[in-house]
Amino acid sequence: MKHFLIIVFIFLMSTNSYAYIDPGTGGILLQALLGAIAAIGAYITIYWRKFKNLLSKIFKVKKKD
Amino acid sequence: MTNLYYEPGSFRDPAGKIFYKNGKVYRKLSETGAKRFDYLKKDNLLEELIKKEFIVKTSETNGRQIDDKLKGEKILEHEKIDFISYPFEWTFNQLKDAALFHLDFQIYLLNKNAKLIDASAYNIQFKDNKPIFIDVLSIDEYKDGEFWYAHKQFCENFFNPLLLSSRKGVSFNNWFRGNLEGIQTSDLNSLLNFFDFTSPSVFINVFMMNKLDERSKINPKKASDKVKFSKKFSKKSFINLLSQMRNFISKLKSKKKISDWDTYEENNTYQVQEEEDKLSVIKNFVDKHNPSFLVDLGCNEGKYSEYASKQKNVKVVGIDFDLNVLDRAYIKSKKNNPNFFPMYVDFSNPSSNLGWAGSERKGLQERSNFDCVIALALIHHLVIAKNIPLEDVIKWIVSFAPSGLIEFVPKEDPTAKIMMSLKGDIFKDYEEKKFETLLSKYAKIKNISNVTSTNRKIYEFNKN
Repeated sequence: MKHFLIIVFIFLMSTNSYAYIDPGTGGILLQALLGAIAAIGAYITIYWRKFKNLLSKIFKVKKKD
Repeated sequence: MTNLYYEPGSFRDPAGKIFYKNGKVYRKLSETGAKRFDYLKKDNLLEELIKKEFIVKTSETNGRQIDDKLKGEKILEHEKIDFISYPFEWTFNQLKDAALFHLDFQIYLLNKNAKLIDASAYNIQFKDNKPIFIDVLSIDEYKDGEFWYAHKQFCENFFNPLLLSSRKGVSFNNWFRGNLEGIQTSDLNSLLNFFDFTSPSVFINVFMMNKLDERSKINPKKASDKVKFSKKFSKKSFINLLSQMRNFISKLKSKKKISDWDTYEENNTYQVQEEEDKLSVIKNFVDKHNPSFLVDLGCNEGKYSEYASKQKNVKVVGIDFDLNVLDRAYIKSKKNNPNFFPMYVDFSNPSSNLGWAGSERKGLQERSNFDCVIALALIHHLVIAKNIPLEDVIKWIVSFAPSGLIEFVPKEDPTAKIMMSLKGDIFKDYEEKKFETLLSKYAKIKNISNVTSTNRKIYEFNKN
């Protein structure tokens, strides 16, 4: 998560000229990004659990042996 | 306000328009407004929100009974708030309570499949020292996957001002008054440093918010397309975002700075006896006039109007220009005295008419509807410290209410002496006889009480 934020941080380090659009757009783009991060986090959690289950299965099998 | 009068500040949302008649507050609904209100009535949501004290009491009423011109119109009647205050007049903890209230309300509504469509701090008022929402038309149905469109507005109205005060020790009030929409994210972003951004909440809601906002300004079409085609925001994420913000704000503390008046109540030059004399003058005054609404100018922690607000159940608005003292007064009165509402105003530059056409937010005088005014130990701070002519100060105080108390502090008084020690005595008109003559020009002097050994006197006046 931390690394991901650092990447986002570097990615965002470019700015320049302005043209007025709508004062709320930044907030919505931010939520879209946060939503995506949350989704990635959820995927990671799911696969991490699967990986843990797999490990525990392997160890259980080994113990039986 | 006996005639029908439309509120000039009520124009941002065309769904409804506030108006007053015979001292009552009404709202005329447009077609969109009527639809929103119908939604609120569905499943008794309106009733529930009133009961839970999220919103002011609101009911439908017959337009024709109010005015012939309103025949056939959809009209709501709202509970009247004693005194309308603005976020730039609130202390740190008042704005913080309003922010937490807004987030709690938004979370509550989301769980009921409803939402707040905006996040203006002006939609929150204080009733008995508790925040309450006044704009019922800001509530609408929540549609699954919707974004929090008011995220940036919430940050600029609540989050950024609190952060400015908490991280940098800069009071938000004067800045907020200059820019009525709050503290802009881009401005705050320029002030914060690397260490401030190590907090994830600050990084996300200030740094990233600003970056993405800048990007959307560089390429508006790309940004709006991105918003249109981006994946929807789940309700769970929405509530998570609000809860995280709530958690962060609830821990914020104002960065302490010692102010001139911090130790005033301990260090002032009064003696115990003199203080009791002062209190008894106020008691007699309050018992005699039985006001229902009083203003205490230069209230400090509100010690002198406490008798009125506690024993006599009088609503008191306490005004002062020391934010630290006011914040302490708010925390204290929130716990044990709902009748005393402290508020920040710089007396030498009081809140004026502001906003669009100079009529969106009203000045302090325009909002005044007090029965009585008390101004103790105040005039020397305006005349001697701020060089405001004595007559102007008297005229200003007297304009607040039909009757009141004003304390005159002579030049011989130790506090006045300290004030003049560097400046020199350039105030030839500042003396008791002149004060009496001037006060008599604007009101009748009813009583004079000597309250200190240094010849401080309290004058009771009446304009009728």
